[in-house]
Amino acid sequence: MVHEMPAGTDDLVADLVAALGIDRVVAGGGARHLYGRDGSIIEGGHSGPICFPDSTDQVADCVRVAVDHGRAFVPRGAGTGLSGGAVPCNDPVVIATTRMNQIHEVDTERRIAWVGPGVVNLDLTRHLAGTGLHFAPDPSSQQACTIGGNTANNSGGPHCLAYGVTSAHVAAIEVVLSDASIVVLGEEVGDAVGYDLRGAFVGGEGTLGIATRIAVRLTPDPPVVKTLLLDFQSIVDAAETVTGIIAAGIVPAALEIMDQKAIHAVEKFVNAGYPLDAAAVLIVELDGLPGGVAREVEIVEQVGADNRVGTVRVAADDAERELIWKGRKNAFGAIAHIKPGYYLHDTVVPRTRLAEVVAKVNAAVERHDLIVINVFHAGDGNLHPLLVFDPREPGTLERVHAAGEEIVRISIEAGGVLSGEHGIGLEKRGYMPLLFSPDDLAAQRALRDAFDPHGIANPLKVLPTSASCGDVMGLPEVPEGVWV
Amino acid sequence: METFRADVGSTGPVCIRGGGTRWSLGGDIGAEVRVVHAPSGIDSHDPAEMTVAVWAGTTLTDLAEALAEKRQEVGLDGPPGSTVGGSLAVGWNGIRRLRTGTARDTLLQAECVGADGQIFKAGGPTVKNVSGYELCRLLVGSLGTLALTGRVILRTRPMPERSLWLRGSMTPAEVERSCYRPSSILWDGSHSHVCLEGYGIDVDKEASDLVEHGMIEVDGPPDLPPNRHRWSGELPKGAVLDVAIGVVHCHGSGAAPEVDPAVKVIADRLKANFDPQGRLNPGRDPYMVSE
Amino acid sequence: MSAFTTTAWLGLDDDSLTACVACGLCLSHCPTFRLTGDERMSPRGRIALMRAVQTGGVACDDEWYNSMETCIQCRGCEAACPAGVPFGELISGTRAAISEARPLPLHLRLGLWGLTRPRLLLLGSRFLAMLQRIRVLPRVPFLPRQLPLSGSRLPRRSEGDVVLFTGCVMDVWQPEVHDACETVIAATGSTVVRSGPGTGCCGALHEHAGLHDSAREMAEHVIASLPGEQEILVDSAGCGAALKAYGHLLGTAEAVAFSDRVLDIHEWLAEHDDSLPQVPVADRPGVIVQDPCHLRHVQGAHGAVRQVLGHCSEVVELNDDGLCCGAGGSYSLLQPEMAGAARDRKVALIREVSALSGANIVVSANPGCSMHLATAGVEVRHPVQVVAEMLTSADGVNGGATDGR
Repeated sequence: MVHEMPAGTDDLVADLVAALGIDRVVAGGGARHLYGRDGSIIEGGHSGPICFPDSTDQVADCVRVAVDHGRAFVPRGAGTGLSGGAVPCNDPVVIATTRMNQIHEVDTERRIAWVGPGVVNLDLTRHLAGTGLHFAPDPSSQQACTIGGNTANNSGGPHCLAYGVTSAHVAAIEVVLSDASIVVLGEEVGDAVGYDLRGAFVGGEGTLGIATRIAVRLTPDPPVVKTLLLDFQSIVDAAETVTGIIAAGIVPAALEIMDQKAIHAVEKFVNAGYPLDAAAVLIVELDGLPGGVAREVEIVEQVGADNRVGTVRVAADDAERELIWKGRKNAFGAIAHIKPGYYLHDTVVPRTRLAEVVAKVNAAVERHDLIVINVFHAGDGNLHPLLVFDPREPGTLERVHAAGEEIVRISIEAGGVLSGEHGIGLEKRGYMPLLFSPDDLAAQRALRDAFDPHGIANPLKVLPTSASCGDVMGLPEVPEGVWV
Repeated sequence: METFRADVGSTGPVCIRGGGTRWSLGGDIGAEVRVVHAPSGIDSHDPAEMTVAVWAGTTLTDLAEALAEKRQEVGLDGPPGSTVGGSLAVGWNGIRRLRTGTARDTLLQAECVGADGQIFKAGGPTVKNVSGYELCRLLVGSLGTLALTGRVILRTRPMPERSLWLRGSMTPAEVERSCYRPSSILWDGSHSHVCLEGYGIDVDKEASDLVEHGMIEVDGPPDLPPNRHRWSGELPKGAVLDVAIGVVHCHGSGAAPEVDPAVKVIADRLKANFDPQGRLNPGRDPYMVSE
Repeated sequence: MSAFTTTAWLGLDDDSLTACVACGLCLSHCPTFRLTGDERMSPRGRIALMRAVQTGGVACDDEWYNSMETCIQCRGCEAACPAGVPFGELISGTRAAISEARPLPLHLRLGLWGLTRPRLLLLGSRFLAMLQRIRVLPRVPFLPRQLPLSGSRLPRRSEGDVVLFTGCVMDVWQPEVHDACETVIAATGSTVVRSGPGTGCCGALHEHAGLHDSAREMAEHVIASLPGEQEILVDSAGCGAALKAYGHLLGTAEAVAFSDRVLDIHEWLAEHDDSLPQVPVADRPGVIVQDPCHLRHVQGAHGAVRQVLGHCSEVVELNDDGLCCGAGGSYSLLQPEMAGAARDRKVALIREVSALSGANIVVSANPGCSMHLATAGVEVRHPVQVVAEMLTSADGVNGGATDGR
């Protein structure tokens, strides 16, 4: 199962050990097997030696040794990514940043923290408890994912509707480039002069270099937070309510929809008090100063009433708020009790077309004889259809991928995009030509090549190429002749 | 876009001119360089999507008027006469950036003509998107040196119900501590100027707290001198510091800040990859800007 | 070490193995991944490696054994797993399967055998205690600094409202915790009888170490020695978790019925706390709560601890999701390096929180945790000891508690 490493690997490992020390390099079969995949359903990546540097200089050493041996490198945080961005292809050196997990400096006055890329997202916010500040990006994996990974993927989360995705919260980044040089992109305060290289780097999925220190902006905690749960007899009414709330000039902190299957799955395990007879529930979170929040609660109730809402439950206290969110946050877990495998999809469509797209997605997935459940960030049109299946049933993975491709096509036809927060990675690079013309892709290639002219940083990710990633399973092939 | 593409062509030096309000920024363009203009006009504004599709030659004033009908606005800034495309190419943030977001966060999608004369699209039409590389971020503040932008989709934001300015001797740090997310904090060397925006009831409450600390309500922001440079710890006479973005509005022109040579290496490769002949806005260098 | 290399069929439940989708949400809840950042030391990594051996036909090598043997079995991952993967069952099954290929060191096997012989344990401990008194015993890190000379008294009454399970090591080394439990239970107006040495060891450490046959025998003995209907209260989180799992371990109706009678002492006290004294807020000491894994992740009884302590103290949280301190039963003997690193991390957090909050009492409801933390110089008490002290210091409420003292 663990394949042989190519010739020269022993020398590569010896040089890595010489540079980093014996306890920071592993190359055993078990380790390479584990580092062959990340949090996505993509299996069969081929990892070379894995390094655990604990300083910027050591990261540069890893890159230098890899380059000397003609090997590519793949940065890796916690490995919770869902698009295969950290799946290694063709035995690269895997550079895990998990030991670079120090919070270097917190400046509450200027609202900036310098952190290592291996700091777990939630650990930073916990560390800030009592300062009245927090780190705003809150992807669903925030208990495990790292800030380096958030930076690479420009991660979102329920609260990025009002607060913006990771890019809006990263001020500056120290980066090791693919020639092992070290450079700081961005400024602690304001925009750096010249091209926004920081902005280009965030969301680069590890193909532009490795972040080794990150200056993140800290956001003041809102004085008042109100969480509402609205239930509807039709998902169309829930989606119309979302549109109505935004059109009324409100930007809620979060707007999340769950469909009936999700409600049932969640209620069985969490008892969040979601009404079982509803076709959809909408969670609305409003935050800010007390007067505005009170006004917005009234407006949301009114917009809901205009769209045939069943009941509007306004959480009375923190305990009730947490209960409402507990259902949402445990949705994927609850769903996993239905079948052992799930594939979490991620596309974005114009929010005014949400209801229509969800209906089409459901029909398409069911045609492939799979169960689909919808739990999504409705406020920014970010769909997360969840395909539930048993990977042991023969032919299932093929059906999952076929359904996944249909979801992508439906979303793009509705004026949407490939991904809202999971990124392209290996999972969707084959779909890039559906959204982008060869000229569009050439411009993206020009950006990538400026950072990594020789293509050794996380190769084969994001942009479609004719080269393949070993025998990685179940990836959509690039349509012939579209992009080479 | 086709007409614009034909105007730009695929050979010979070419520059793009918007309102010309900051024409000298980032170096001189030779008099012999051919000038093109982006088309103007608003394609579509969808308040429920919080986006607007607009041609780059549209003036900020026209755009603001159209958006205001639906009580929305965008996070772009420039002197009267500035265009959407010019404002994006310069990439400066307005003083209300804390509320409206940065120019770099505002651009969602751009349709451009590249140096090879081909049209390419950067970004996507939705408010949330991580499909591929962040080309839009590179275009904002690039002074048109990578591609010439014809049409864009911008993120809009709701306008505040109430907006008011106060001035007084509290320090910016004191103001920041006593207000939850003010839209702007300026410092003129002796006084803070703060902009509070949001629902009337909240703005009035926060304003009355500030008034208790000696701040007084004023008509608007102080007059801002025309030039800008990066905050370096000193505030020249008559200058105003925008605290949130570290920018000093001043009279004299400052020197361009020093740039790490390693950053320039990437920047030079970018320029070479996008415009190998250097035909787009020749003479302009985004690193020769003092902010 | 190639002598140990073998292909082991692990006999794990295929559904349980398949249920892991490798999302990685367990990672930050795993003490060994936290320390190493290495997937081989993580729950999802261990599951993938189990799968590789069970269904992928991969041979077990030292790297593989090391992954399995470094697991503390804290089950923090299980509580965090969105897919409900029963990691505890998987690792325990794996340990059992490999126990023949990788026998435990002799001293540990002897020790575990000793636990099944309470009288021998008592005698041995008294002997050690005397050696300690005459200062010929060198400092052994995990032993209490002053071993008691006597063990728990035998039950004086055959009938009580509830039974207090006294266990093995704890009965010998920390009888004062049982005394405190008796005091507090009495204060609620209930009568309590101790299970006593005849009931013996719960077998948790044996189960933990993969010695399933011994664990089953001991479970049967415990069940047989505690007939009746009374609720069985346990003041050691590890023992409580084991007793509650007898139903699963033995799979008999009798064992299920027995497990249903078992409650952690805090769970019971939380239901009977009306009569506990309310200490005025100003007089409440700050108490830092370290949750034993088998209390928090396995029994989910950490809320009850806070409820009980909340009557008489200011609960101070460590805010680390109950990350394991590294004690893990016999783990601290088998993997001293990893156990020490996990402990040092916990101790650093305790010191930090103590400095910030001013609280200097640390409690943990498991003897293994308190002994492990004591090796780093942190004095740890049982939560019920704190309650008992507040009881005796509060006016007019210690009448019942003096009964039988």
